[in-house]
Amino acid sequence: MSRLDRTRTSAHQLRPFFSSQNLLNRADGSAQFDFVVGPAEVKLRDEKLDKATLEVVVRPLVGLPGIKDKAREQAIRETLEPLVLSGLHPRTGIQIVVQTMKDDGSILATAFNATILALLDAGIPLKSILGAVTCIVDSETNQILLDPTSQELANAKSTHTFVFDNKSSITSNTESKDQEDAVEVATLYSDSTGLFSEEEYFKCAQICYKAVQAVHGFIRTAVQKKLEKEQQQIHS
Amino acid sequence: MTSITMEEESKLLIVLPGDQLPESGLMEDSSAAHRLTLGPGLAPMDDDSITAVKAGILKHNAVGNRWWVESNQRRYVAAQGESIIGVVTGKSAEHYKVDIGASQPALLGVLAFEGATKRNKPNHNIGDLLYCRVSMANKDMEAELECMNPTTGKADGFGELKGGFVIKISLGLARRLLDPKNLVLRLLGQHIPFEMAVGTNGKVWVNSASAQHTILICNAIRNSEYLNSAECGSMVKSLVEKM
Repeated sequence: MSRLDRTRTSAHQLRPFFSSQNLLNRADGSAQFDFVVGPAEVKLRDEKLDKATLEVVVRPLVGLPGIKDKAREQAIRETLEPLVLSGLHPRTGIQIVVQTMKDDGSILATAFNATILALLDAGIPLKSILGAVTCIVDSETNQILLDPTSQELANAKSTHTFVFDNKSSITSNTESKDQEDAVEVATLYSDSTGLFSEEEYFKCAQICYKAVQAVHGFIRTAVQKKLEKEQQQIHS
Repeated sequence: MTSITMEEESKLLIVLPGDQLPESGLMEDSSAAHRLTLGPGLAPMDDDSITAVKAGILKHNAVGNRWWVESNQRRYVAAQGESIIGVVTGKSAEHYKVDIGASQPALLGVLAFEGATKRNKPNHNIGDLLYCRVSMANKDMEAELECMNPTTGKADGFGELKGGFVIKISLGLARRLLDPKNLVLRLLGQHIPFEMAVGTNGKVWVNSASAQHTILICNAIRNSEYLNSAECGSMVKSLVEKM
């Protein structure tokens, strides 16, 4: 079967990943779609005595930020706050700016993925990384489609975005954890809109969890490529 | 030998936050004591595991069973004993306020120079460049600096940097520039005489006979971050030819 955008042949395929890191020279860390400044000075009224203050700003493709962007800011900030080891940088501020360059569906998941890449680039200490994927239940075929485009989103009966973290052992990071029971997977963030049953929700969660492993793999590869380039002169 | 050591010898072991050190790796070199020393990038977590908190290359030194993650970032976090380049941004009766690129400006005591007494102390102005040593740094307070070697009391190269030009680079590149076998500096030195100070806070000060040479050297240093040896050589060659 072919998806609407004709580049993918399976319902469970994600669009190919692209990323660039360390793009902006004024920021402390950046990945395409995102930049991070921090730990930096923070205004006295926002200062927290024992932790770093996390600030997220989401800017849309066109126009001024609206309530949807504010909702995304809150989602990203609240998901990241427990992940960032803010106790290591008390009385500082970490500012994350998400700028949409292209909007073809799955914006929130992309924002999460880009944010984590930018945080890794900035060297902010984190408990783990995260990976996000959006899926929809198509209104006509009742099929679960991963990483929907804007056109597919318009036909959706329900839309779900899931964010999962990675907890793996260093020597066994090529083996995947055996998580058949979706209910036991720890979700960092879950957002659903539309009409759906409990069964559909858990099925989506399971499918998204498997897809997020690909996101984690991509993040690992992206970081690996960057580090290898940096270390070239020492090891060549 | 466990798999971790084998991998280190043949290729770089990249870790991401969330990756844990395996139990077997801990027992590897320490037969009697289960003791290990954790360096930057690793932290013990609530569930008694050792987890990486930064993305980087996992390194291990058998001496003292030391583990750490070599990572790169642009923002500096002060650590004791490091030599850094700072800019004076403020002056008070007892301290200079020095911007070192961390989240807060650091304090440099007015008497923390070689042979300084109340009657005879150096006078620095706002905007002066100083090469200093971090004498105290912890996460809750501003860092403190000194412009002398603490054991001997001599300047040992610390103090004001006159003239020249400062560029901001990543911390990883600054550490690589400190390597005596660094390629780009060796290549540049074959063509242009210059002097340089590297701050581990990601700031590099370069001074040479003409402004043109100084800018060329700064550009070459910046460009060399992601290049391999061959590309580095041709980059320096093309810059020098344009001169």
